[in-house]
Amino acid sequence: MRFLVVDDSTTMRRIIVNTLNKLGYTEIMEAGNGREGLDKVTEGPVDLVITDWNMPEMNGIEFIRALRAMDGKQHLPVLMVTTNAAKDDIVEALRAGVTNYVVKPFTSDTIKEKIDAVLAH
Amino acid sequence: MASPAPVVDRHATQPLIETLRACTHDVFGTMVGTALAEGTPLVGDALRPQSNVVGQIGFGGSSSGLVVFYATFAGARAITCSLLGLDTADEPSKPEVADAIGEITNMIAGSFRTRMATEGDAWAVSIPTVTMGSDFYMTALTDGQRTMLPFRMDDHEIFVELVITTKVRRT
Repeated sequence: MRFLVVDDSTTMRRIIVNTLNKLGYTEIMEAGNGREGLDKVTEGPVDLVITDWNMPEMNGIEFIRALRAMDGKQHLPVLMVTTNAAKDDIVEALRAGVTNYVVKPFTSDTIKEKIDAVLAH
Repeated sequence: MASPAPVVDRHATQPLIETLRACTHDVFGTMVGTALAEGTPLVGDALRPQSNVVGQIGFGGSSSGLVVFYATFAGARAITCSLLGLDTADEPSKPEVADAIGEITNMIAGSFRTRMATEGDAWAVSIPTVTMGSDFYMTALTDGQRTMLPFRMDDHEIFVELVITTKVRRT
């Protein structure tokens, strides 16, 4: 199971990587913005993407739209982890192609539940 | 001709202050893994906390202002160690501390924005900025209301401030 974590905050990437490690996942790539994320996706197989929304250069929504336009990535599970949790935000994210949504602050149980849900999707 | 000074209705801003307090508890309880003790809120800008690391995020929309997070170096290091899963004996770098305080500020302000959206307050928020140093003073270029919420995290005092400007009352 190979993850890609996309977030401009090194702190948040560490938090998510530590959480994934605790859940038994060790194959994790990291990217600092959406553009880097797209590069990582082309480097090798990715089973699940976890992305932030607000990032410089290419934000999470732009990243997901670009990802969905790539060959063979239309059904790649994407989990968005963000503080943007107003109703309109969630609608926009789902329209862009997000599979599921985690609102910060979050617990490791929430991350586990959401990963299980997107993998079962 | 000078613009009229904004008039802030204390009763109107009280729900915002309570919401910000709840968001701060939520972020620390969930992400930092520690409960915060509360102090008495301070209104106005007469009393400034002794802080070395300050994160701030602006918001604008139906009302505008700032959410500001204050910590000492020691407090900011403790928060960083908790967030990153480091041992308390570890010494995080200054960029790690700055990024961690930026993320804490982002989560508090982001939760605050989301909760207020359910009350009909639609805001856009800025990216966080973090200032680190030993002798500086943060001031907002507004005549709005400033409310400082003091908290204690173990041996560390931290503060979360809401600076808010409501609509100008025209006479």
